[in-house]
Amino acid sequence: MYSRKIQAALRKKGLNIGDRILLTKRGKKFEGLLMPQTKSGDAGTIVLKLDNGYNIGIEFERGTSLSRSRTKEPEPEKREAAYELGKKGSTDEIKFDQKKPIVSMISVGGTITSKVDYKSGGVTTLNRPTDVLLNVSEITDITNMKNILTPFTIMSESMNHTHWQSLARECARELNKRSVDGVIVTHGTDTLHFTSAALSFFLKNLGKPVVVTGSQRSADRGSSDAGMNLICSSHAALSDIAEVGICMHGNISDDYCLFSRGTHVRKMDTQRRDAFRPINEYPFAKIWPDGKISMKNDNHNKRDNKKVVEVDAKFEPKIAMLQTYPGSDPGVMEHLIKQGYKGFILQATGLGQVPSKTKSWLPAIKRATGSGVPVFLAAQTIYGRLNCNVYSEGRAALDAGAVPLGDMLAETAYVKLGWVLAHTKTMNRIRDMMLTSYSGEINPRTLVGSFLY
Amino acid sequence: MDYKRLGLKCGLEIHQQLDTKHKLFCNCSARFEDKEPVFEVKRKLRAVAGEMGKVDIAARHEFLKDRMFRYKVYKNETCSVELDEEPPHPINREALEIALQVAMLLNCEIPEEIHVMRKTVLDGSNTSGFQRTALVGLNGWMKTSFGKLGITNVSLEEDAAQIIKKTKKSVIYGLNRLGIPLVEIGTSPDIHAPEDAKEVAEKIGMVLRSTEKVKRGIGTIRQDLNISIAKGARCEIKGVQKLTLLPKIVEIEVQRQKAVINSGRKVTHDVRKALLSGRTEFLRPLPGAARMYPETDTPPIAITDRMLEKIRKSLPELILDKQDRLVKKYKLNKEVANQIIKAGKTELFEKLAKLSYINTAVNVITRYSKQFRVPDQKLIELFSAIKDRRIPKESLESMLEKLSKGKSVKEVTAKGLPEAVSEEEIRSETKAILESNKGLTFGAYMGLLMNKFKGKADGKTIAKVLKEELRG
Repeated sequence: MYSRKIQAALRKKGLNIGDRILLTKRGKKFEGLLMPQTKSGDAGTIVLKLDNGYNIGIEFERGTSLSRSRTKEPEPEKREAAYELGKKGSTDEIKFDQKKPIVSMISVGGTITSKVDYKSGGVTTLNRPTDVLLNVSEITDITNMKNILTPFTIMSESMNHTHWQSLARECARELNKRSVDGVIVTHGTDTLHFTSAALSFFLKNLGKPVVVTGSQRSADRGSSDAGMNLICSSHAALSDIAEVGICMHGNISDDYCLFSRGTHVRKMDTQRRDAFRPINEYPFAKIWPDGKISMKNDNHNKRDNKKVVEVDAKFEPKIAMLQTYPGSDPGVMEHLIKQGYKGFILQATGLGQVPSKTKSWLPAIKRATGSGVPVFLAAQTIYGRLNCNVYSEGRAALDAGAVPLGDMLAETAYVKLGWVLAHTKTMNRIRDMMLTSYSGEINPRTLVGSFLY
Repeated sequence: MDYKRLGLKCGLEIHQQLDTKHKLFCNCSARFEDKEPVFEVKRKLRAVAGEMGKVDIAARHEFLKDRMFRYKVYKNETCSVELDEEPPHPINREALEIALQVAMLLNCEIPEEIHVMRKTVLDGSNTSGFQRTALVGLNGWMKTSFGKLGITNVSLEEDAAQIIKKTKKSVIYGLNRLGIPLVEIGTSPDIHAPEDAKEVAEKIGMVLRSTEKVKRGIGTIRQDLNISIAKGARCEIKGVQKLTLLPKIVEIEVQRQKAVINSGRKVTHDVRKALLSGRTEFLRPLPGAARMYPETDTPPIAITDRMLEKIRKSLPELILDKQDRLVKKYKLNKEVANQIIKAGKTELFEKLAKLSYINTAVNVITRYSKQFRVPDQKLIELFSAIKDRRIPKESLESMLEKLSKGKSVKEVTAKGLPEAVSEEEIRSETKAILESNKGLTFGAYMGLLMNKFKGKADGKTIAKVLKEELRG
C-alpha cells in the first residue's frame, strides 16, 4: 500500500499501477512500470519495474515529480508485469483425454495454488487454481480431470469445521457420480492433516479413494513439489485404496510419494517436501510418478465403485486441545469450561501423565468429567501408545475420569471429539465412540518399523 | 578494419565472486574448503506457465521432461536453503556492503529500497528453478581512454551450482558453489573497438580488486561479451578466461558476423562459448528475457542515507590510485608498488615507511615476508625501535628470523641494535687496513674487515669498498 501522499500524487496525474511512468528526483530520471508496494516495504517509497526486469524502490520526497512516460516498454517486461499484477493468469487451457478415467479435483487453496501477492508481500492464491495443472501436462496421460471445483479458497491455517463440512459434501457429490473413479483435494499444508482426519470421519461408506494433497514449495517456481504430488495423487485416486489419505513427497528427492492414512499422518517439518509422515503406522503405499505402487499396509478398504457415500458431518465446535507441561495451569481448562466448552483433548506427557503435585490437573479433570465434560488424553510425544496403567500418576488420571486414546494422534482426536460430541451427549457413549475405530484412527498393534518412518 | 564504419557495439558483463564468510542467503561457509560431498539428492524441474510464449514453453517442457538433476551435498557448504527446502535467510550484510561499495566506486545511483528478484533458470543450476538477484546500483559510469562508459547495472546475486558431470539424460551439480555471493557489473554497449574491451575489463577488475573482498583464482571471475555490428545481431559470448584474449575474440566475432551477412544469410541471436583460440562456438539461441519476479520470501532492503555515508567514508582507495600514490610519494618503481599492493600490505608499508627507512620497509614487505612470517604488529614495533638507524642486512634477517620464531621485539633488541657504519667509515678503515697490512689476499682483507665491523656493515658494501680501494 502506498502512503496517502503518494496516492494523491498518482491520482493528480491520473497514473495507475501498471502504467509506464517517469520519476524525476533531484535531476535524476527513473523510468519503468509502476508496481504496487508490499506491506513489508516502505509506504513512502515508489516501486518501479525497470526495463531490465528489476524492481527498485525510490523514496518519494519533496521535489519528486511523476509523469506518464512517453516511451514504450519492451514486450517481455510488459508480459511479466501483467503476470505479476495478476492481470493475466495464463489463457492457456489444458486438454484432457476423454478416454482416460475420471478423477475430480476439488481445490480449496494453499501454496499449491499460489502466486506472489503484493498486498501482503508474500504468497497468496492464484486467480485460477487450475493454472497449476498447466505445469503438469503428464496428468493428461493418467486421468481426465474434467471436474475441477473450487467451493471456497482459504489458507489452511484459517480453516474451521465449516470448511471441512463443505468439503465433505463436495467430495461426496463427486464420489457418487458413476463416472468418477476418485477425488483429489488440493489444500494448504499447514492443517492438511486436520482436514484429512475430518473427511475420514465425515465420509461414510467410502468405496473410492479421496486423496488430499498440497505442495510445500509454491507452484510458481520450477522446483515446486506440486507437479509430482499431483501426478502421484492421480495414481492414488485411481488405485484400489478406498480411504481418505494424504499424498506428498516421501523424501527430499523427487523419487516417490507416500500415500498415508488420513487419521494417522501429520506435518512434521515447517518446510521440507517430505514433511508429511505417517505416524504410528506404515503408509498405505509408496507411489512413483510413473504409476508404480508399492503397498506397505494392506489394512485398508478395497475399492467398490457401487458403494454410495453418505455424509455425516455433524460437528460440535466448542471443544479445545490443551497441552500439559511443567508449570502449566489447569485453570485454563476451568476457564474454558466456564465459557461453555464441551470437551477436551489433553496432550499428556509420557504414557499419559498429567502434573499431579503443584498446580495439579487432577482436581480440574475430576470436576470436568464429574459434570459431563469429557477429557481425553493423547500423546504429546506424537509417536507411541498411551497406557495409564503403568504409573500411579497415570492411574490417578484414569481415576479422575480422563480417558487415554491409545495410539491416536492428538489432532485426529480433536477432530473426532468434535464429531462424536455432535452425535451424543452421554459420557459412556462418548467414550465408546472415541475408543471405536471408524477410520483406522486407533490401531490395536504398534509395528516397530513405523517409528520415524 | 574500420570498426566504426562496421557499427561495432560491444558491452561487457562481469561476474565476480565475493570473499565473504557466509553465502548470500544462508549461513553456510563460502570458503570452498569441503573436499568430498556427503550425499546426493535427485530432482526434476518444471517449466512454469506465464513465463514465456507458448513455443518456448513447449520446448522447455520437452527439455526438462526426462531430465533428472543430481545434486551433491557438502557438509559445511550446503544446507536446507541450497536444497530448496527452506526459505532464504535475510541477505548477507557483508556482501551487501561490498556490492554498495562497488556501486559507489562506479558512480552509480543507489535506490532507497533494494528488491531481491527471482530470475527463472531452468537448466538445473539453481535447485529452486530461479536465481536470486538484486539491483544495487544503476546509471553509473567509468572514465576510459575513449570517453565515459556507462555502467548499466551493479547487481548482487547468488552464484549457481557448478557442473560436476554432464551426461545425456542428467547433470550432476555440486551445491557448494550455489549461493556464493556474486557482484555482476554490466556496461552499456558503448565499446566500439576491440582493444577498448580489454581496457574496460581490466579497469573493472581493478575496481573490484580494490575492495580487497573478492575471491581470487580460476573461476572466481567470469567475463561475458555482447557483440553486434550493423546489420548483424547481438550475440552473447560467455566465459572469456583471459583478458588478453578479449580483443581477439571481438575481432573474430566481428569477422564471423560480417561473413554471415556477406553470404546473404541473417545473423542469428546466439549465445556462444569463448574458446582459448579466440574463436567461439555456438551454444544455444539467445533466449527471450528471463522471467524476473519479486523474491517475496525476503522483504525489500532499505538503504538509508546513514548507511551510504558510512560506506562512502570507508570506500577503498582504487588500486590505480594507490599505485600512483606509492610511486609518487615514496619514489618506488611501479613493479615494487604493485607487489606491495598485491600483497595487501599498502597500509603496513606506509606505517613502516613513516617509522624508518623506505628501503627497509620495501625489503621487509617484498623480500623478507616470504622467508619470515612476522605478524604486522611486531614489524611495527620493530621499526619503532629501529627508527633512523641503518641496520645491516644480515642483522635485519637475524632479527626477523627470531621474531618469526616467536621472540618479542623487546627480547630481540635487548642487546641493543646493531647499527651499520657509514660507507665513509668503511672506506677509512679499509684504507687503514690496506696501509698496515700489505700483500694479503682479497679474502684475507675481507676477513679482517668483517671481523672489524662485526655485523655493523654488510659484506656486500665492504667488498665493494675494498674492490674500489684496491683498484686505487
